[in-house]
Amino acid sequence: MKQAFLVALLAANLIPALSAADQPAAPPQPTVKVGDVAPNFTLQDQNGNNVSLEQFKGKKNIALAFYVFAFTGG
Amino acid sequence: MQAFQQNLSKLEAADTQVLGVSMDSPFSNKAWAQQIGVTFPLLSDWGGDVTKEYGLYNPKYKAARRATFVIDKDGKVAEITLDKDAVDPTKTIDACQARKLKH
Repeated sequence: MKQAFLVALLAANLIPALSAADQPAAPPQPTVKVGDVAPNFTLQDQNGNNVSLEQFKGKKNIALAFYVFAFTGG
Repeated sequence: MQAFQQNLSKLEAADTQVLGVSMDSPFSNKAWAQQIGVTFPLLSDWGGDVTKEYGLYNPKYKAARRATFVIDKDGKVAEITLDKDAVDPTKTIDACQARKLKH
């Protein structure tokens, strides 16, 4: 009886592990949170100009839109 | 990015600079900007350092997750939208307009 209980317990532990393996990889979760200071960067735009976050500080809000690929929607 | 371009005047009226970012090359971004008529900067995070720093790198696609951050004038993150919510700029516009009134 005790053995059967142990087998059931083991099986119950295995089931979530097996179903988790079937799931697609979870999407990445943002590590920068609301209220954080946005990490500064300098990147090149489509016209060859360097653009940094810092240059807008105290002047403008920023809508920083990460997109997946050029030539796609969104 | 098309939806942000269509709403650019609203965003600019709310003291907002729009910046697109992806892991495409500047050359791809230039060709795409010309094709769809984007006038705001499309930034090239070639190699993905910034994408990774923001926690948005998706190894499955070797690209960023779709996300829009509203950053206020003090440089702090005010709002984050993801995926479909990030494609539709409505929430971003609302957040930026709210931040215009405060200043």
